[in-house]
Amino acid sequence: MALIELNQVSKIYDETIVPIKAVDNVDLKIEKGEFTSIVGPSGSGKTTLLNLIGGLDQPTEGKIIVDGIDISTYKPDALINFRLHHIGFVFQAYNLIPVFTAKENVEFIMLLQNITRSEREKRAIEFLEAVGLKDRINSTPAELSGGQQQRVAVARALASQPSFVLADEPTANLDSVSAESLLNLMEDLNHKHNMTFVFSTHDQRVIKRAHRIVTLQDGKINKDEMNPAHAIIDS
Amino acid sequence: MLLTLAWRNIWRNKKRSLIIITAIAVGLCCGLFASATMFGMWDSMINTTIDRDLGHFQIHSKDFEDEKLISDTIPNFENVISTIKKSKYVTGISSRIMIEGMASSASTSNGVRIIGINPANEKNVTSIYKQVVDGSYFTEDFKNQIVIGEKLADNLGLHIKSKIILSFQGTDGSIIYGAFRIAGIFKTESSVFDKSNVFVKENDLQNLLNSNMFSNEIVVRLTSVQVADSVYIPIKNQFSNLSVKNWGELAPELKLFNDMLMTQMNIFLGIILFALLFGITNTMLMSVMERVREFGVLMAVGMKRSRVFFMIMFETISLSFIGGIAGVILALIFIQYFGSVGINLSAFTEGLSQWSLGTRLYTSLPFSFYPPLVLMILVTAVLGAFYPAIKAIKLNPSNAIRTY
Repeated sequence: MALIELNQVSKIYDETIVPIKAVDNVDLKIEKGEFTSIVGPSGSGKTTLLNLIGGLDQPTEGKIIVDGIDISTYKPDALINFRLHHIGFVFQAYNLIPVFTAKENVEFIMLLQNITRSEREKRAIEFLEAVGLKDRINSTPAELSGGQQQRVAVARALASQPSFVLADEPTANLDSVSAESLLNLMEDLNHKHNMTFVFSTHDQRVIKRAHRIVTLQDGKINKDEMNPAHAIIDS
Repeated sequence: MLLTLAWRNIWRNKKRSLIIITAIAVGLCCGLFASATMFGMWDSMINTTIDRDLGHFQIHSKDFEDEKLISDTIPNFENVISTIKKSKYVTGISSRIMIEGMASSASTSNGVRIIGINPANEKNVTSIYKQVVDGSYFTEDFKNQIVIGEKLADNLGLHIKSKIILSFQGTDGSIIYGAFRIAGIFKTESSVFDKSNVFVKENDLQNLLNSNMFSNEIVVRLTSVQVADSVYIPIKNQFSNLSVKNWGELAPELKLFNDMLMTQMNIFLGIILFALLFGITNTMLMSVMERVREFGVLMAVGMKRSRVFFMIMFETISLSFIGGIAGVILALIFIQYFGSVGINLSAFTEGLSQWSLGTRLYTSLPFSFYPPLVLMILVTAVLGAFYPAIKAIKLNPSNAIRTY
C-alpha cells in the first residue's frame, strides 16, 4: 500500500458563487522513501494539493488515504491530531516560534505528542546535531540566518518522527548556498533514514534534486515522471 | 513549556504589555481607593453616631417608642442594667431620662431633647465630654448645670454661665420650668445634633419632677461593632417586654446611606471593570491579530485548539494578575497613608456636619474586600480574552500560515 494515496481528489473553492477548481480530479500515489517534487506555475494548485495531503484542507470530492487512514472525512480536531503524529511540516517562511530557542522549537511538537522531557531533550539535540546546528541550540530564531532557521524547521519536522515531511517551497527564501546545503541535508535524511519528502516548488535547484517530479497544470496532473537527472546520478 | 510559551509571548511586546498592566493597576487602585474613601466615610459616620449618642444598642419601654413620653419608663431598669453588665464585651452603660421640651433664653427659644444623665456613666458610653469646646463637662459645683451644643448656644445667643430655661411636660401633664446655668458647650460633627440636644444631671431632673430614680433609656457601649450581635440578641430575647434595638435599627438613615454608598461603589467598580474589559479585549485582539501566522503554524503542526485557547487565556490572566497585584499594592499604600493622615475636607465643613462627618476623612477598607475584587479582575480578564481566543482558534491553519 502506498504511503499517500489520492483517489479522484478535487478541491473546489467558492462553490456557490464562482466555483474555482483548484485541484481537479487528481489521482496520485506516493510510496515510502520517495523524494517527490510537485511543480507547476503559480495558480496550478501545488499549495492546495500539499494542503490536502497534509490534512490542512479537506477535499470537496475524492479520498485521501495517508498511512492507510482515510483523512478526507476527518473533522478539524481529528485532523490536528493526525497531523501531529503523522506529518512533519517545513514552511517557506520557516515559521519557528520566535520566543523559543532552536532546541525548544524542536522540542515543542514532541511536547504536544506528550513525549517525556528527557526523551524530548535527547531527540532535539540529536536532530539539531544532524542538521549541523549543535552549537546553536540555545539561539533564538532572530539570532539565526534564514538557512539556519530552515534547518531548525527540518529538525522540528523530523523530531516528531512523522510518516513523511511536507515542504512548501522550502528554499524560496534562501540564498543558493543555504538552499544547496538544505537540499543536501534533506537528501541525506531521505537516503539514510528512508524519510519520505514531498515538496511543492518552482525552484529549479529543488526540481533538479527531486527523484520524482509531479507537474500540475490548472489543478490537474499534467506530467508525473521520474527525474532523469537523478536517474543518471543514481546510476 | 506551554506556560513558558505563553509567558514569553506576553513580553514580546513589552511596551504594550506594560501599558495594559499599568491600566489594570491604576484602574484597580482607583477602584479600591474610591471604595476605601466611601467605606471610610461610612465608617466615620457609624462610629461618630455610635460614639456621640447612640451607643451600640439601646433599651426603652415599648410605649416610649411611640410618643416618647417621660412617663414611659423602663420597669426594673436597675435589674436590666445589672444583667447587661455581666457580659464581658460591655464597656459602659448609661441610664438616661429623656424629655422632649423647650430651651429658652431671654430672647428666643428652641425645641430640644433634654437628656438627664449620670455624667460618670455617660462618659463610658458617649464622647460628648471630649467635645466640649468651652467650659467643662459637669465639673462645676453648682446645681442645675447644663451642657449644650454650640449651635444651640449661637441660636439662643448664650454663652458659658448664661442662664437657660428648660420647659417640659411632667408625668402628670403639668408644664414644668427649670432654670439651668450653662457649664459647658460642645461641638460635634453634626450641627443638627448640637442644635437639638442638651445634657443635664438626672438628679436635677428628678428634683424638678419630684420623683424617684427612673429611666427612659439605657444605652450600652461594647468593645466593638463586631461583637454587638452576640450581646444584643440575647438581651433582646431575655427582655422581650422591652424594646431593644441596635444602632442599625436606631439609625435607619445610616443603613440607607450605607446601601447608597455600596450601590455607588458597585456602579463605580462596574464602570472600571467594564472599561478594563474593553482594554483587555483590545490588547489581546491586537496580540492575536499580530500572530495569525503563528497560530496557523501551531495548529498546522498539531497544537489542539483547546491548547491555543488556554495559551491566550493564560497570557491574559497573567497580564491581569500582575496588574491586579500591582493595583492592590498601590491601593494598600494609598489607603494606609490616607488612613493615617486623612484627607482634608475642611472646605466642605458645613455640608459634612449635616451628615455627621468630620473635616478629615480617613480611608479604610476591610481586607475581605480585596480578594473578591482581584477575582473580579481575573473574571474580567477571562471575559476580555474570550473573543480574541475564539478568533484565534477559528483560524484556518492553511490560510493563517500565508498571512503576512
